[in-house]
Amino acid sequence: MKGLAKDLERLLPKERVHTDPEDLITYGNDATYHVCPLGHPDAVVTPETSEQVSRVVRYANEKEIPLVPRGGGTGLSGGCTPTAGGIVIDVKRMRNLVELNRGNLTAEVESGMVTATFQRIVEKEHLFYPPDPQSMKVSTIGGNVSTRAGGPRAVKYGTTGNYVLGLEVVLPDGEVIRTGSKCSKSSVGYDLTHLYTGSEGTLGVITKAILRLVPLPPARRTVLVTCESIEQSGNIVSAVIGSGLVPAMIELISGGAAAAMTSMLPEPYPPGESHLLIEMDGTETEIETLTGKLKDLCTERGALNIRIVEDPKAARAYWEAREKLYGMILMMAKKGIVEDITVPRDRIPDFVRAVKDIGVRLQMNPATGMMVGLGGHAGDGNMHPTIFFLQEANQEREEKAKAAIEEIVKTGLAMGGTISGEHGIGIHKAEFLPLELGRIQIEVMKRIKHAIDPKNIMNPGKIWVNGGTL
Amino acid sequence: MSLKSYAEEIAKCSHCNFCQATCPVFLEDILETHEPRARMELVRKALIEKSIPVSDRLKEIIDRCLLCTCCTQTCPAGVPVHEIIVAAREELYHGKRMNIAMRYILNKVMDDRGVHGVMGKLNALAGKLGMLDEIPTPAPKAFEKRYKGTYTSEGERRARVAYYVGCATNSFNIDTGEDTVMVLRKNGIEVVIPEKLVCCGMPALGEGDLDKARELMGKNIEILSKLDVDAIVVDCTSCGLMLKVEGPKLFTREDPLKEKAEALAAKVWEVTDYLSMMGLTAKPSPLELEFTYHVPCHRWMTKTVKDAPRTLLAQIPGATLVEMENPELCCGAGGGFFMEHRELAGDIRSHKIAEVEATGVKTVITQCPGCRFFINAPLKEHRVRHPVSILADAYR
Repeated sequence: MKGLAKDLERLLPKERVHTDPEDLITYGNDATYHVCPLGHPDAVVTPETSEQVSRVVRYANEKEIPLVPRGGGTGLSGGCTPTAGGIVIDVKRMRNLVELNRGNLTAEVESGMVTATFQRIVEKEHLFYPPDPQSMKVSTIGGNVSTRAGGPRAVKYGTTGNYVLGLEVVLPDGEVIRTGSKCSKSSVGYDLTHLYTGSEGTLGVITKAILRLVPLPPARRTVLVTCESIEQSGNIVSAVIGSGLVPAMIELISGGAAAAMTSMLPEPYPPGESHLLIEMDGTETEIETLTGKLKDLCTERGALNIRIVEDPKAARAYWEAREKLYGMILMMAKKGIVEDITVPRDRIPDFVRAVKDIGVRLQMNPATGMMVGLGGHAGDGNMHPTIFFLQEANQEREEKAKAAIEEIVKTGLAMGGTISGEHGIGIHKAEFLPLELGRIQIEVMKRIKHAIDPKNIMNPGKIWVNGGTL
Repeated sequence: MSLKSYAEEIAKCSHCNFCQATCPVFLEDILETHEPRARMELVRKALIEKSIPVSDRLKEIIDRCLLCTCCTQTCPAGVPVHEIIVAAREELYHGKRMNIAMRYILNKVMDDRGVHGVMGKLNALAGKLGMLDEIPTPAPKAFEKRYKGTYTSEGERRARVAYYVGCATNSFNIDTGEDTVMVLRKNGIEVVIPEKLVCCGMPALGEGDLDKARELMGKNIEILSKLDVDAIVVDCTSCGLMLKVEGPKLFTREDPLKEKAEALAAKVWEVTDYLSMMGLTAKPSPLELEFTYHVPCHRWMTKTVKDAPRTLLAQIPGATLVEMENPELCCGAGGGFFMEHRELAGDIRSHKIAEVEATGVKTVITQCPGCRFFINAPLKEHRVRHPVSILADAYR
């Protein structure tokens, strides 16, 4: 784009504008590198204030240049991939804590604040920010809000969307608005805060967020339940939820995952096809009671082994290894496609069986070089069905993967599920959007998009297959 | 290994981006182009597939890396990122990354295992760069000129070790060497100090000068493998990383030195790690001391080395460890990185200094002489020491 760099350097300090080919390659993708098409921006800017963001947005709007907001670059749906070129707005330099309000249990942060850094800050004050996308050591609050990111703790605490009270947003015309408030409730007009939450950069650039906090649980305990089959794990999860027990996290570890994590663990997972990694939090007494009931329930249902991990350092190791699972995918397979379908928790056993059946029906097994795996946030019904290419990807395998994903999506939806629990739609899931939302709902969304961003400069090509145009 | 043979390793990168969280350079620059994920992608494109040209900017990106190994330690897929950077530097510079004068100085330091032979040139250069204050003064007489041969154990001999004295101890930190020998002997360990050793070669790796690194490794292997010892003890984690992990990789399977290097590697221990494994037989006397611990990045040499000083010094009555917030955060020294990237290294260091100051203690321990020197430079009231010296104090 001719003159772009010069123009941007007039708007921002020179060192905040990056247009070398090496920068443009770097900012061309996120964690979907091997799955989604690569983008190629024309420029990357790294602003330090909302005002600087506003200047860039105003300019881009005038020139009708696509804008792609970007946080940690860890997205799993290609949401920050600049597929239409344009300017990437990297907000990571905007990473300050604006306010930590102990008396109100809220905090305001700039959107480039790294999630885990924020968690460390509030935990020093004995407060807790539970949303825990597994990339939290890198992901930003801005990215989390934009995708309604979540992780294992969703079982008890929900995902990012449940913690957003207000936002500062640079609108597509460069105006800056503050939505919501730091009050624990508010009923004033349309809830723009939650319109922007999950909007994946298509409606503006989120520059600040007001977040709700909860008291830090005084204690936590990890329990490892080993099952003879993934079906048994599914049954146990469903029974735990149905019985009214609320652990903080229930993760399903199956297939090769347990073995792949061994080198990071103080003690390997016990032998067994499938495992549930569970954490309970609360007071010591609450945890004691919960652990007792959980043990009884798992024993009744024939769990092979129940290991209570007493040493906090050892417990940490299990969870840290779990965080790294996505990053290990190419050690386990030549290629992996991670889906984000989530089902109601009472349907977990049905879904587990259905996914297994699909794998059998489509002959996905070591002989054909493919496998369907389940693993992830079982406790909230978000089990990340994953297609593993055990042998090199080729057209036949790609087609088979596509067929499997489509069947899994349809099966999940038929059970009352949703195509994305926490990753967002981006480009990766856009083709399935009509299956869940239907034509009219998509139409409504597009009208909103058009009203706010008539020139369609904000992250075009995301959420909808053909972009957000009417 | 040649860069091409790393293509398969790079292919294991899922692009999860976890390396962003621990790369000291990224954490300062906050630009994704300066993080390991990008470095791998650019190395692949520019130097393996050759689909983009090698530009000055690319060289800057490849040079702007401390080789701290934090990315390698973080990577869920086990991509040996730092090795790939070394291979990329070899490909880019063929051992001639620095100018001829600098190369002369560095090679002489590595051959002599110390700076005594180049002080004139080094001072002239430091003067030119305005870095005279930053160059420490070497000891009047190198360690190797004072100590050689066998030092018998006190009491019953439990083991016999060779002490590989690195360049920094040999030139500057004579006391670290003396303390190492003393503490080992006190604990029933006989110490052999071999002669004619050369630098471990880690600085050559940083230059991507693999031929030089191989030459140095070869010389050390020949001397060390002739010794009848139970272990090779180092006091420096970088020497340890080189002798134990990186060095053996320099030789191909066909090379007879490969087997010797691997056999040797199995015996290499950092001194506190070794003592912690062997257990102390001599009881330390009480020492009223509060200290904090900076864990060197090259803890990557073994899994146990990072906790060794903690467990070892906990056995001194009265000695209290006050942990800083992030003991494993890089200090910015990166061998000679701080001379090449002064501002960046200083910025990285500023966080470490703030953490040290926040502990309120005046003694810092760390097993890397580079970290020791670099952390100590701006701290006027503090002393940064090797953990073995604290133990030595408790025996005095």
